[in-house]
Amino acid sequence: MSITDQQMHDSHDDHGHHGHYEEGGNHHDTAQEKHRKEHMATWLFIFGDVVFFLLELFFWFYLRANNTAGMWRAANCTPANGKLGPTDEGLNTCTDGLFNPITHAIPKANPVYTIIVFALIAIAAAFVWFAEVQSRKGATKKTTHPLTALALFFVLAAIAAQFYQFQVLPFTTIQGTYASTFEFYMGSNVAHFLLALVIVTGLWSRSRLGKFDNGKWYQLHLSRLFLVWVAASCVILGLVTIFFA
Amino acid sequence: MSTIAPMLLEDTKLEPKAGGFYRHQNFLTGLIVGILSGFIGWVVSLALLQGSNFGSDMVVTVTLTCWVIGFNAGMGTFNAIFRWILGHDQNHEDELYAAGVGQGWKRYWKYCTDHKVVGTQYLVLVMVLFGVGGTLAMMIRTQLLSPNSRFMSPETYNAIVSIHGMIMIIATIIMVSGPFANFIMPIMIGAKDMAFPRLNAMSFWVVVSAVPPILGSFFLGGVPAGWTTYAPLSVQAPPAMDAFAITICTFVISVTVAGINTLVTVLTMRAKGMTMGRLPIFVWGSIIAGGLGLYAMPAFLMAQSALITDRVVGTGFYVAEQGGTGWLYENTFWIMGHPEVYVILIPPVGALIEIASTFARKPVFGYKVMVAGISGIATLSIMVWAHHMFTTGWAPTLADPFMLTTELISIPTGIIFLCMVGTIWRGSIWTRLPMYFLYLFIFNFIIGGITGIYLSDVPADQYFHGNMFVTAHFHYTLLGGGLVGAMGAVCYWFPKVTSRMLNERIGKTAFWVVAIGIQITYMAQFYEGFQGMARRVANYNALFVDANRVSSAGAYILMAGMLIFMYAIIHSWRHGKKASANPWHAKSLEWMTLTPVPLENFLVDPVVTGHPYGYGEPDSKPVAPEMPVPVSANSGGSH
Repeated sequence: MSITDQQMHDSHDDHGHHGHYEEGGNHHDTAQEKHRKEHMATWLFIFGDVVFFLLELFFWFYLRANNTAGMWRAANCTPANGKLGPTDEGLNTCTDGLFNPITHAIPKANPVYTIIVFALIAIAAAFVWFAEVQSRKGATKKTTHPLTALALFFVLAAIAAQFYQFQVLPFTTIQGTYASTFEFYMGSNVAHFLLALVIVTGLWSRSRLGKFDNGKWYQLHLSRLFLVWVAASCVILGLVTIFFA
Repeated sequence: MSTIAPMLLEDTKLEPKAGGFYRHQNFLTGLIVGILSGFIGWVVSLALLQGSNFGSDMVVTVTLTCWVIGFNAGMGTFNAIFRWILGHDQNHEDELYAAGVGQGWKRYWKYCTDHKVVGTQYLVLVMVLFGVGGTLAMMIRTQLLSPNSRFMSPETYNAIVSIHGMIMIIATIIMVSGPFANFIMPIMIGAKDMAFPRLNAMSFWVVVSAVPPILGSFFLGGVPAGWTTYAPLSVQAPPAMDAFAITICTFVISVTVAGINTLVTVLTMRAKGMTMGRLPIFVWGSIIAGGLGLYAMPAFLMAQSALITDRVVGTGFYVAEQGGTGWLYENTFWIMGHPEVYVILIPPVGALIEIASTFARKPVFGYKVMVAGISGIATLSIMVWAHHMFTTGWAPTLADPFMLTTELISIPTGIIFLCMVGTIWRGSIWTRLPMYFLYLFIFNFIIGGITGIYLSDVPADQYFHGNMFVTAHFHYTLLGGGLVGAMGAVCYWFPKVTSRMLNERIGKTAFWVVAIGIQITYMAQFYEGFQGMARRVANYNALFVDANRVSSAGAYILMAGMLIFMYAIIHSWRHGKKASANPWHAKSLEWMTLTPVPLENFLVDPVVTGHPYGYGEPDSKPVAPEMPVPVSANSGGSH
């Protein structure tokens, strides 16, 4: 490997200063270069998140298929003896995680709340997407700020709805693996939503300052990619909980 | 020698307020805020949660989570996020301050974004972790000196085995990718820094925050479940298990961030002319390991976060009576576990290839085949996880397919070996210290690799799986292969990292002591395995005493060798001979810049016109072309 005299030609960036660490980035980056790096990083982060998400699905279907001790939803537990059935006398006693007897099947969660949660986050993602589209068209903060404010509102609403669903579930984590996995999914949603909250708060704050004016849309674009993924994963998890309980 | 005007950013005078809040933050503020946060978390959780079901586990989890968040807040990990939210983007001067300009040695105690500082920080952290893990190993071997030793209780022994294992796994994952994929890799591709300098600093300090919880587990009842922490043992373990799991979850964040950073850096920041076909093998190793980590680490996070919820909020993922199963944990753990072996091994192998080519004065033999081999190993490694579960009873019908995929891994591994040996074959060998470690790697890894084939075989695994044969196998692989490779990398890049030459006399002494120690320690353990001695036992049948004493003696020798090596590093770092820019007359880019390396790595942007291994080519000079230097040549440097 060798270095030629050509190396001398572009030791300074196009901005005419030695800008290793420039505003919000580094290495003489133009907006396109920064966008390319951050775009790739966003997709890689989503890739890692997808692996986690697939494992969540694996947990659901593996536990559901195994139905160890009949405790997916405790479908065979009876008030009479708390056992799986008359032939299992003395075996497979249905208890929760605190050894209290379970005497009935664990009811399914109300799908309405699930649908509300994923609808709210999907709407939030849609508003960020719309803000991006407007920014690409050259819109100013007069347009992007209200849109990001609406996105922020819907993210907050999704978080509130998710916590409300926690409150109204007809089971607790300790009552079998359906209950455990369902609540784990909700926890996963909350983690996603909190991350989305940080991002959308930033978008709202920055749009207020006009940071996305004059075609500077790329942070909106990256945020949109992540939020769409958050919404998609929430919808898929929700559908799984509704149709494969 | 050509000269150019001084361009070293270290000379830049910064405004008094440059850096903003970073000016007030360092390791000490991290500790203070972390401890304070942990204390507040402990008080609040104790008041609110202690009386509830799973109370102790909740308190430990909340306290340690607060520690991790607090420490990182105190270090400055979240500064940029808040500034971004508020719209107060950092300016040029702030970024220069964050990169450590004008801070001297203090930069090593701060949230410094210069990749060379982060690499050096990682090197020190790795040495500390190996020191701790090695000390625990010596305690294990001391316990096993006699069949009914009372050196420690069985409970303490189990806790030490668990923490030794996990600390060593953490240390080996970052032993090359931490110091050298940070310090060296960006220079190798002609980049000025990593793609995301702040995330780079974050990946380091997040690991640092993960260390106290796992060490604190000794004071929380100890982890009795081994480093794999199989359920249901881990579900039933004392609150120490919560600390262990929090360490893992925190570590996963660090490795994920580092993996993304490595991939983006290589894919987007290569110098002009640095095509993918000209990438040094070490860089290939770094991106493949980074990508593999990106696949493996979420599984680790899933396994451990489900474990935390089982312990803290009563979910039943791994609890049979609630409908769960330990097999779920085992699957998830090993979906991470086997790729993780190659996340550990691929970077040292890449470093050794650099060493082989440099000191044999030959191009890498079969460059493309080797890249294909490394990629093949990475791909196959995600299809073999269940071979760790042959004896657990899970899905016996899948044993044959998993046996096949596991044995297939020997093909790309063999290709890499062939290329490694082919590179030094008939070369003009310059036997300096790094080459010693290459030879030792080849010797050890052949043993580790071949014994691995036995374990991939279902009938043989039935006998060997629970005994010391496995212990010897993976130590030959990870220590004899991975760590020895990392030691070679330290010797090779030491002059570039520290600006000083490693003392070869002390280094060679360390090498021979380590080499002999490894053979004695683990050959004896193979013998124990053939005899049928179970692993992870504090007391054993007197039948095995001789082999255990030999193994312990070997372990002490090994530890002595490691201490000598550590002494060589510390002594040379302080008193070693000053290194020239290219002491090995190598051809890859990291040797074509100044030593000490300037802040932006190159005084002028490099344009790559050839392969990094052009030894023996008629138009290729054995030494780097003249590098332009600043007028005051000795005025700058990042160290």
